[in-house]
Amino acid sequence: MSRLDRTHSPVTEPTILKALEEVRDPDLARDIVSLGFIKEVRVEGGNVSFTIELTTPACPVRDKMQEEARQIVAALPGVQSVEVTMTSRVRSTPGETKAQLLPGVKNVLPVASGKGGVGKSTVSANLALALSKTGARVGLMDADVYGPSIPMIMGVQEQPRQGANNRILPVEQYGVKIISMGFFVREDQAVIWRGPMLHKMIDQFLGGVEWGELDYLVIDLPPGTGDIQLSLCQKIPLTGAVVVSTPQDVALRVAKKAILMFEQLNIPILGVIENMSHFVCGTCGTREEIFGYGGARRAAESLGLPFLGEIPLVTAIRATADDGRPIVVSDPETLSAGAFQKVAENLAAQISIRNMAGEVEPAIKISF
Amino acid sequence: MVTATTPIPAEISRANEYDVRIRWDDGHESIYLARDLRLGCRCAHCISETTRDELLDPRSVPADVHPLSISQVGRYAIHIQWSDGHSTGIYTFKRLRELDPT
Repeated sequence: MSRLDRTHSPVTEPTILKALEEVRDPDLARDIVSLGFIKEVRVEGGNVSFTIELTTPACPVRDKMQEEARQIVAALPGVQSVEVTMTSRVRSTPGETKAQLLPGVKNVLPVASGKGGVGKSTVSANLALALSKTGARVGLMDADVYGPSIPMIMGVQEQPRQGANNRILPVEQYGVKIISMGFFVREDQAVIWRGPMLHKMIDQFLGGVEWGELDYLVIDLPPGTGDIQLSLCQKIPLTGAVVVSTPQDVALRVAKKAILMFEQLNIPILGVIENMSHFVCGTCGTREEIFGYGGARRAAESLGLPFLGEIPLVTAIRATADDGRPIVVSDPETLSAGAFQKVAENLAAQISIRNMAGEVEPAIKISF
Repeated sequence: MVTATTPIPAEISRANEYDVRIRWDDGHESIYLARDLRLGCRCAHCISETTRDELLDPRSVPADVHPLSISQVGRYAIHIQWSDGHSTGIYTFKRLRELDPT
């Protein structure tokens, strides 16, 4: 192309968009132009700037995508400089009932396990913190009425206050909004409730709490497939469930029951997390597979579910949770914290996939 | 997997003053006569939880029974408030598809 052509055919917005169709989002398996990610294209002579709006701040390929887009546009004739801004807007799960109960909450994510004692609360807390660290607005609801452990794990001392219209204001800790049954019963009291009371508590924690604007509301469920799980699934269209299991066969068998429950209630499973995956000895570095290896990954694959990652069995994860400073905030540089961050990214990607599909296929329209 | 194969309603509306129309996401359309839908309730008041016997006496259901309101239950079912006062039934999408008369 001659110098003359350059000056006479300056770069235009359509040429830029055409070129950017080359860039694909690997999780959503579509190009970023047809996904509507490209915003605010500005062309001033040979200087081009635009914004890529992702579906989550926790996008694992964020930097790669930015560089790819920049290079493609920089290669266009007539372009002298390119500025790519990365932002994100988390998409919402469609549904009218959710709009009424939780108007500002975009995604509701129950964390479930079949069996107890697989570290579900520790995983929920670290997952909420890892999502929050990416810049997302996150809430954490402790729905384990019988053994609420989130206040301890998150190191919350204070009580929630009452806001306008008798609504409960969640306690904020490490940037995450928290509500727990543990705030309302004394240490030396036990909650002995039947179904209707549990149903009412779920109502209160969803509709009676001033959650405000949240990208993700993580719900730490009690173990099993009981009243709380059912109430929650009936109350609002959940984005999808996260299932935590140890690699041990007995835990996986019970985890499958939880998965079946969600399937019967038409709640998508966003993925499976393997907790206590393996143990690395603190002194000699030997890796021990105490509960067997890769069981949860294999179970996820055989059920056709995404596998979100492995969390090792490490004393520091337990100790930091007992101290009220989960590892993602207390020691973010450790391998364990990195494992949680990775799981959070994979989870955010799965949510984006679900919700982008939902935007094409809207919620049920009822006019009766 | 259940999630992938069970059709879900795209739109639930009135077929007439009494009856219910469902347009499904797979393109199928069903029309349910209100009274048949009421008699198809599987709640614990209508069907015994232990013996699965029918507890509901069809003679007790008025001929002009009809839904007063319909709301969504989670992602898997609907709830119907009936004109005869009955309101404990949850109709799963799967069940609705089975009840489809067309």
